Amino acid sequence: MGKLYSLSAAQMKDLLNKKEVTSVEITKSVIDRIEKTDKEIQAYISYNFDEALKQAAAVDEKIAKGEKLADMAGIPVAVKDNMCTKNLRTTCASKMLGNFVPPYNATVVEKLLDEGAVIIGKTTMDEFAMGSSGENSAFQVARNPWDTSRVPGGSSSGSAATVAASQVPVALGSDTGGSIRQPACLCGIVGMKPTYGSVSRYGLVAFGSSLDQIGPMARCVDDTAMLFKSICGRDMRDATSKDYTYKPYGDSVKGIKLGIPKQYFGDGISAVVKEKVYRAVEVLKAQGAEVVEVSLPSTDYALSAYYIISSAEASSNLGRFDGVKYGYTGSKRGSLDELYESSRSEGFGDEVKRRIMLGTYVLSSGFYDAYYKKAKILQKNIAKEFDDAFKLCDAIITPINPTTAFKIGEKSDDPLAMYAGDICTVTLNIAGLPGISIPCGFSAEDNMPIGFQAIGKKFTEDKLFTIAKCYENAVGGFAVKEF
Amino acid sequence: MNSNYEIVVGLEVHAELSTKTKIFCGCKNEFGAEVNTNVCPVCMGLPGTLPVLNEQVVEYAIKMGHALNCHINSVTKQDRKNYFYPDLPKSYQISQFDIPLCENGYLDVLVGDEVKRIGVTRIHIEEDAGKLIHDADLGGTLADYNRCGVPLIEIVSEPDIRSADEAKAYLDTIHTTLLYLGISDAKMQEGSVRCDVNVSVRPKGSTEFGTRVEMKNVNSFSAAHRAITYEANRQIDVLSHGGKVEQETRKWDDVKGRSVVLRSKEDAQDYRYFPDPDLLTFVVPQEKIDRLKARLPELPVAKTMRYMSRYGLSKADSELLALDKNVAEFFEKCVGSGKCSAKNVSNWILGDVFKILNERRCSINDLALTAENLSEMISLIEKKTISNAAGKTVFEVIVDADKDPNEIVKEKGLAQVSDTGALAAIVEKVLANNEKAVNDYKSGKTNVIGFLVGQCMKESRGQGNPSILKEMVVAAIDNK
Amino acid sequence: MEIDIKHIAKLARLSIPEEKVEKFQKEMEGIIEMVENLPDLNTEGALVDPSDTMQLRKDEVQPSFPRDEMLKNAPNTAAGCIVIPRVVD
Repeated sequence: MGKLYSLSAAQMKDLLNKKEVTSVEITKSVIDRIEKTDKEIQAYISYNFDEALKQAAAVDEKIAKGEKLADMAGIPVAVKDNMCTKNLRTTCASKMLGNFVPPYNATVVEKLLDEGAVIIGKTTMDEFAMGSSGENSAFQVARNPWDTSRVPGGSSSGSAATVAASQVPVALGSDTGGSIRQPACLCGIVGMKPTYGSVSRYGLVAFGSSLDQIGPMARCVDDTAMLFKSICGRDMRDATSKDYTYKPYGDSVKGIKLGIPKQYFGDGISAVVKEKVYRAVEVLKAQGAEVVEVSLPSTDYALSAYYIISSAEASSNLGRFDGVKYGYTGSKRGSLDELYESSRSEGFGDEVKRRIMLGTYVLSSGFYDAYYKKAKILQKNIAKEFDDAFKLCDAIITPINPTTAFKIGEKSDDPLAMYAGDICTVTLNIAGLPGISIPCGFSAEDNMPIGFQAIGKKFTEDKLFTIAKCYENAVGGFAVKEF
Repeated sequence: MNSNYEIVVGLEVHAELSTKTKIFCGCKNEFGAEVNTNVCPVCMGLPGTLPVLNEQVVEYAIKMGHALNCHINSVTKQDRKNYFYPDLPKSYQISQFDIPLCENGYLDVLVGDEVKRIGVTRIHIEEDAGKLIHDADLGGTLADYNRCGVPLIEIVSEPDIRSADEAKAYLDTIHTTLLYLGISDAKMQEGSVRCDVNVSVRPKGSTEFGTRVEMKNVNSFSAAHRAITYEANRQIDVLSHGGKVEQETRKWDDVKGRSVVLRSKEDAQDYRYFPDPDLLTFVVPQEKIDRLKARLPELPVAKTMRYMSRYGLSKADSELLALDKNVAEFFEKCVGSGKCSAKNVSNWILGDVFKILNERRCSINDLALTAENLSEMISLIEKKTISNAAGKTVFEVIVDADKDPNEIVKEKGLAQVSDTGALAAIVEKVLANNEKAVNDYKSGKTNVIGFLVGQCMKESRGQGNPSILKEMVVAAIDNK
Repeated sequence: MEIDIKHIAKLARLSIPEEKVEKFQKEMEGIIEMVENLPDLNTEGALVDPSDTMQLRKDEVQPSFPRDEMLKNAPNTAAGCIVIPRVVD
């Protein structure tokens, strides 16, 4: 059992059930792996090793007593550092929350702990989840395990990197405009953004409240689904959450209709990405799926609507960080305004400031109708277009990121270039739909992973898992980076 | 007040609702708890927390909407009002912007003997902010978040109010209505009802509004009266000296009796309202709206007018009886017994009962006194079974004990004696002992009759029927 | 589209150092230009969606949190309260 850390969560669960290993052994292996590799990967802002070992020991005790265990019992999980963990620092990778220790657990964390999962640590990210490379962290930039000179994508950069580097089998990410799917794609793993409302947001530090959704990331489809199963469902603490019951998935796409929207295969998407995505569609076709063409004409507007809505909501959500109740306190404290301005100016990074100002601007007097209200109406139109498209198909297949992962520092000075990369992912958040990122090979140019996206109707996560599972079986599993 | 000008006033009343819990979390909604003990991550606005709307808040607000004759919007939402202040931990207040729960209503109030109808623009629900305590020793300010998330309704009137008296009458009526509906403690001294006052003036006969000034920090309804009077005079003074009233927000200082500029129009806040993404649209079913309307009690102004027309009571007495829901209920129970006249019930309640309530600073429901006992006692007086004086003796007992007045009369021997035979000896004795008074009467000072009857009453230990005694005294002197 | 970056920063309680004003100004204008391509739409009516509604909460008391827990992240406390600079109003 030398490489317990590299097992899938499903394999770990199997061994635990058979009492061939203990959760403490698994957890120690994972801790050891992180200690050996995290200097290079830099996935974690906070480790939770002492607590993790206690949690693992508690599960082992239950196993010894012969108690029936939930799916995630004894399995190490990494949690993105924007989900509140009681008595464990939660920073959102921001200087603003550098020493913030929540007095409560996010609902997803509470659910995982109830199942007996082992919280191994908190992963780095783009500050307040704003970014798509992981470079906007106030603390550290996680590395892409396939090439550590490259970004892992973002904003769930640490969660993608730690899973791809086989430090842990599964991790939680959050996705406001692609922040689970895009880093999963760039790191060659599976990641899913569930339907808006299927997973509680309570305890997720809000970025764009009407778009944010927590979701699972793993190296295989079964693990992704298993983590999703343990976190989904209505939460009375989240008024936007919905009644949702996890449905089991299959592995056959026979008779499933896949829609291909031409608007997602435009000039902005590199040839190598398009080619791999088309090839994935061929694989699914060979497994019995039907392929139809669909149209989503408002796609071009989605990016604008996304930046208006997410920034407006963020500008309001981040107002609470003022140096008074928690978090960073600025250097000037003479008057209230000085305290506010110095705390916020010193505590937030430039990308966060840009979005707060954009959001403040689009909501300000005289501009509300032209920007925010229009974007919200557009949001409905985009959702309607998806509804129409789903009359012709069961799922829609698209690329995720226009290119493979770029080198650290390559684009971080150009916010507009960074924003343009979100074009394939933001529409789902706008429409509240579920989407899954599935690895589909490597670029011959740089040997970096490429993924494709399957988009479903609301609350059809089971169908997306079915498509992903079928594809995974057809290609004989996904490649794992050895190092 | 310069009679060439007319005052125009609009009022914004904030009332805390008396729900068990806060508007968006399960923390207790109570006044006076130790600082920062009724708080949780939600009402303190910790990162990651989300609001969940308390359905009781919606019901209470709809009740008020019905009471003020509003249209109830069954499909509505909540919006964020963004501004930075240390009593507002999220840096936004969850309120309602373009679709208030209730709108387009009115309230009839009594001003003098007139009924005045004042338009109600809207009633919306929102959360209260925390409390800042200024601490001189620390040289800083302390923040207590217990009040954060206490549910509020904001009642906005049309600019229909034309005098400080009208404003006072409107505020008093809002206050009693809140208490009648049982939706707010409406305790001014605890700050559970507060108001902002908008004042402008214009030349008499003008149909256009003058420049409006908003006054903050008006902490009581009598302060509202003073603030309006002051501000109207200030504006009239400015205008009559050829000046221009500036659109601004002023702060009322009730101790000094004047207002000072808080901020000018240029500093007007940009609240950046937008729908709260954490709270979806909410729909109140029409049948629920209708049910709440059907259950609405008769309100104080309607009661006052009914007491006046049905029972012939004065406006002042009717208002006093209707002011407190419990008093009004007590009054109506007494009258409903059919044993005694409304006028006598009103006199007893407003006299002896109110005296006790004032002395004990308690509510009518805190007394052992029952409507049955009081009306029975009054009927005994009306039937002349007992004298008014004996009535007071009975009242002293029944106010603190649920005891049948007939029993008390029997036990204490209070029944009035109307038998002239039994009273003749008393009259004889009193006249014999008060020769001077008898002579005074004979010489034309007829008002001494009261003294002589009083002496007879005393002699009869209060049991003599005073009107019969009077007749007997007069007859006895005349016969002498 | 010229944006008054200082006014926006003031509204957001951010102070932008003088040397960064131009950079932020340019970036913001670029972003605004990007998001301005929205089509003409009728923006009348309020943003409500009766097809997507929320459930309300019963008026039932839940325990509050211990004060120490709630204040443990505050930079400055005294007498059970959070201390802030003197507010003059």
